[in-house]
Amino acid sequence: MKVTVVSRSGREVIKGGIELHDEATVSDLQEAIHARTKKYYPSRQRLTLPMQAGIQGKPIVLSPKKKLVDYCDGNVKNLTVVFKDLGVQVLYRTLFFWEYLGPLVIYPIFYYFPVYKYFGYEGERVVYPVQTYAMYYWCLHYSKRIMETFFVHRFSHATSPLSNVFRNCAYYWTFGAYIAYYVNHPMYTPVNDLQMKIGFGFGLICQVSNFYCHILLRNLRNPNGNGGYQIPHGFLFNIVTCANYTTEIYQWLGFNIATQTIAGYVFLVVAALIMTNWALAKHRRLKKLFDGKEGRPRYPRRWVILPPFI
Amino acid sequence: MAGFLSTLRRIYLSLYNWTVFVGWFQVLYFAVKALREGGPTTVYGFVERPLQLAQTAAVMEILHGLVVISFAVGLVRSPVSATLPQIGSRLFLTWGILWSFPETRAHILVSSLVISWSITEIIRYSFFGMKEAFGFAPSWLLWLRYSTFLILYPTGITSEVGLLYVALPYIKASEKYCIRMPNKWNFSFDYFSASILALAIYIPGSPHMYQYMLGQRRKALSKSKTA
Repeated sequence: MKVTVVSRSGREVIKGGIELHDEATVSDLQEAIHARTKKYYPSRQRLTLPMQAGIQGKPIVLSPKKKLVDYCDGNVKNLTVVFKDLGVQVLYRTLFFWEYLGPLVIYPIFYYFPVYKYFGYEGERVVYPVQTYAMYYWCLHYSKRIMETFFVHRFSHATSPLSNVFRNCAYYWTFGAYIAYYVNHPMYTPVNDLQMKIGFGFGLICQVSNFYCHILLRNLRNPNGNGGYQIPHGFLFNIVTCANYTTEIYQWLGFNIATQTIAGYVFLVVAALIMTNWALAKHRRLKKLFDGKEGRPRYPRRWVILPPFI
Repeated sequence: MAGFLSTLRRIYLSLYNWTVFVGWFQVLYFAVKALREGGPTTVYGFVERPLQLAQTAAVMEILHGLVVISFAVGLVRSPVSATLPQIGSRLFLTWGILWSFPETRAHILVSSLVISWSITEIIRYSFFGMKEAFGFAPSWLLWLRYSTFLILYPTGITSEVGLLYVALPYIKASEKYCIRMPNKWNFSFDYFSASILALAIYIPGSPHMYQYMLGQRRKALSKSKTA
């Protein structure tokens, strides 16, 4: 069959189109496009079916594993696809590694090195036990994240735009420095011993739960499945859709209860808002997919992310 | 029900825009009066009240842009990314600099600030007021709305940045709005550093706002040609 590849403005991206055998997959098409244009490797290509004039809605994105014929409506000899360049892509693993490395390195700098004299605080610092535990807790958290990135998570889209590296690193690294500055400050005021123990204890339980949630999610993902979507189940997923975000948020709450800084709580609120946005989208997606029709199971009634609120 | 809500929205926005229009008209009127009677150093004293009222009322516009009721989208189409920096800088100057540090009030930049702002806002509010109340705005008003910013944004921004800079030594010397450590929430806030940060934001912020308005201008003026 002949595939015509056009840009969103209608211009032909590959002059003369591409000839492929009838059983070819979208992935084959992507490889062919890459062969004709050195710049556009497959993960940079977004291929959609042309939008019908006047019809609203989102364009249908071609899925790499499916066959091209699946997208032809009747005419199996010709297909037109719309091409969009997603820009330079990086692996999700790369993105996560750099964004998590920052906090892992930056926080101990404030703990170990005499940085505060550059802020005008001369002299020796008295270090409270809670500050030491906080540093260990923080580093454990980000080490865990990096470890999960390489050994636990299975990614549905392998890549993310390069610009996200700058945006995400700015977020993590700035907040990391902001919190580290206050918890390790020479004029830091610790909370009482019991509050510290409750905070770190609760936080650790949540971190372990969060790790278990990630293991469960990994095993959910069937690499050859239908886009990978299954109804999450097991452990906390039986009562809340995004139990992994739930445990992550509560883990930060534990850290803040123990360390008590406004900076830490601001980070908690911002992170919770971001995760809630993701959770709502995921919950909605799952409910739409598992609608109980045509033999599909129906998505059960569950909390989205933060029982008992939402 | 939908028709009733949309009429309510129209009445509300008409009242809002024309009321704030009157506020800014007063600012311009008193500013010119001050310049003629007392000279530039007296401008602030003449405009303080209407300026504070009209400018602070603009906080409503952030709400207008957001999801207000769960089943309604924002009342207006302006993106929060364009209204938030504008209102932020305006409120910062009005309350955080001019009201908080009287030493800045006699500066010549206060006159240019107040005149730039008031002319821009008079045009803007009457434009939106016309559209909400009467369904259209005359083409000369449309042109003014999308052209005067070409001069007034630079003069306004220069005045804002200039006044901020002038205020810096006074901010540093006073402890106003500063929170120091130690305290039980392990928090600190240094108003001087925050002001420097605000100044830094103008560097990417000003071109962003100007580009946004240029884009709006292109869209608005080309649409009126084909209409």
